[in-house]
Amino acid sequence: MAVDWQLAAFLVLSVVELGGSIMVVVSRKLVHAVFWLSVTLITIGGIYLLLGAEFIFLIQIIVYAGAILPIFTFGIMLTRRKIMEEVTPGEVPQEPVPETPEEGTP
Amino acid sequence: MSGALVSPDLFTLCKVLVGGILRILSDGVLAATPVGSPVEGLRGLGYFLVEDWLVTLLAWVVAITIMVTWAAAIQLLTIMWMERKFYARLQDRYGIMVSIWSLPFWPFSWWAKRRNKPTHRGLGYLQNVADGVKLIQKENITPASADRAMFHTAPVMIASSTILIFAALPFSEGFVIANVPLSLLFILATFSIAPLGILIAGWASNNKYSLIGGMRAAAQLMAYEIPLLLAIVAVLIYSGTLNVIDIVQRQEVPLAASGPLSYIPSWNIFSIPQFIGFAVFFVAIMAEMERIPFDIPEAEAELVEGWTTEYTGMRFGLVFGFKWLRALAGSALVVILYFGGWSGPVFTTLTPYVGGTAIPIPIIPHEVWFLLKVYFVFLIFVWISWSVPRVRIDQILNIGWKKLIPLSLLAIIVAAVFAAFGPYLGGIR
Repeated sequence: MAVDWQLAAFLVLSVVELGGSIMVVVSRKLVHAVFWLSVTLITIGGIYLLLGAEFIFLIQIIVYAGAILPIFTFGIMLTRRKIMEEVTPGEVPQEPVPETPEEGTP
Repeated sequence: MSGALVSPDLFTLCKVLVGGILRILSDGVLAATPVGSPVEGLRGLGYFLVEDWLVTLLAWVVAITIMVTWAAAIQLLTIMWMERKFYARLQDRYGIMVSIWSLPFWPFSWWAKRRNKPTHRGLGYLQNVADGVKLIQKENITPASADRAMFHTAPVMIASSTILIFAALPFSEGFVIANVPLSLLFILATFSIAPLGILIAGWASNNKYSLIGGMRAAAQLMAYEIPLLLAIVAVLIYSGTLNVIDIVQRQEVPLAASGPLSYIPSWNIFSIPQFIGFAVFFVAIMAEMERIPFDIPEAEAELVEGWTTEYTGMRFGLVFGFKWLRALAGSALVVILYFGGWSGPVFTTLTPYVGGTAIPIPIIPHEVWFLLKVYFVFLIFVWISWSVPRVRIDQILNIGWKKLIPLSLLAIIVAAVFAAFGPYLGGIR
């Protein structure tokens, strides 16, 4: 029973990477997309490791997971508008209905 | 000649241990099932127990368990206890004093009463265990409008990346899980994953204090990672390797071949051009640990508890306790890079002659030297933490970008000049 462990690791990593990259474009929330992007980038690093490039693997993690993604998240978090609004448990927060002008006013 | 207790290697020791136990078990199984007996079919189990892949797998499991227990339980409790005792003394009070006789249930209460033991006059080492038990009992609350998946993922990211540091961080030349060629880079890479988890934790809590704390943490950790890495480059110019064990072995030789200087080891802290890099690294690693002069991510006067505000129960204990684990890893990095790692000052071995061969016996093993230095560096961190006020958010970024980065570049230039022209200047280093 000879298992090709490198092939198995490559298959697992590539499946996780492809799933993560699909989730990046499918996610509705931008921070979720950034999380899946981190999954994708770290598994790409794992494929570098399988190819024998340990240095590129570690630099990939330092640069992408450690620096680029926090910058992304940093920018994205400034765009979220609803923080600490009054919500009763179990209720989906609703956008406030814009006031309609009263009839009869000029 | 090795002065380490764990020698030659943690994995080799575990393999000998596990292999011995499995060999005894296998012999027992083979003796209990002789050929021709009705249970002869079980003989395969006896042969299976001594297969090489099984022994190797179990040895890895045992080695990793020993390392995680050692680092993430024993050392974590020790440095938490040291910090609480030490800053209590700085504030002119006793600090935690709960002893084992303070436990309110049988047999401890009975024993304390019978032996007339003072219940709250101990060293307080078990106080952190008691706090952990209390945190486990608490309810885990997820805020109603929090992002549940991300809220639960962030502590996992922070905790797992922090424990991953100890896969490559050595406590002596043998007491290490994986001695890989790029272990210093591996430690720094795993150190740098946590900011993403902190950001996600701050965002997912749906709390303005958490969000601001997370953003401050990300800004600070990213800003101080640059001088951290640049200061390490100055060390790498001298050592020429990214393996932490080799970096320490470069510092074990004496400073000079003869004379009074030969009693001083060539630690990087003693070399003149490395001192700028040491100062930069010390400040930057302190900011990476979010210790008090740089703890604006959880400035409790401004933000309630920073990015950990919404976490409750043991989840809070996890994200809170892992700051100490990062502090332990940071102190260990300072010791490895600048204080000569586990190399003892003098006379680490006795060599009695048994049958004409010298057997080295470590008087003070390398692990003990390393831990003493780590505790020393950590106590300096604690001392600074509880003596100086917190820096403001604008000051923290000014210190990081405008002062530390130019200083670390200067350290690289000075180290490069001394490495290139040192031989012409009488071997100064």
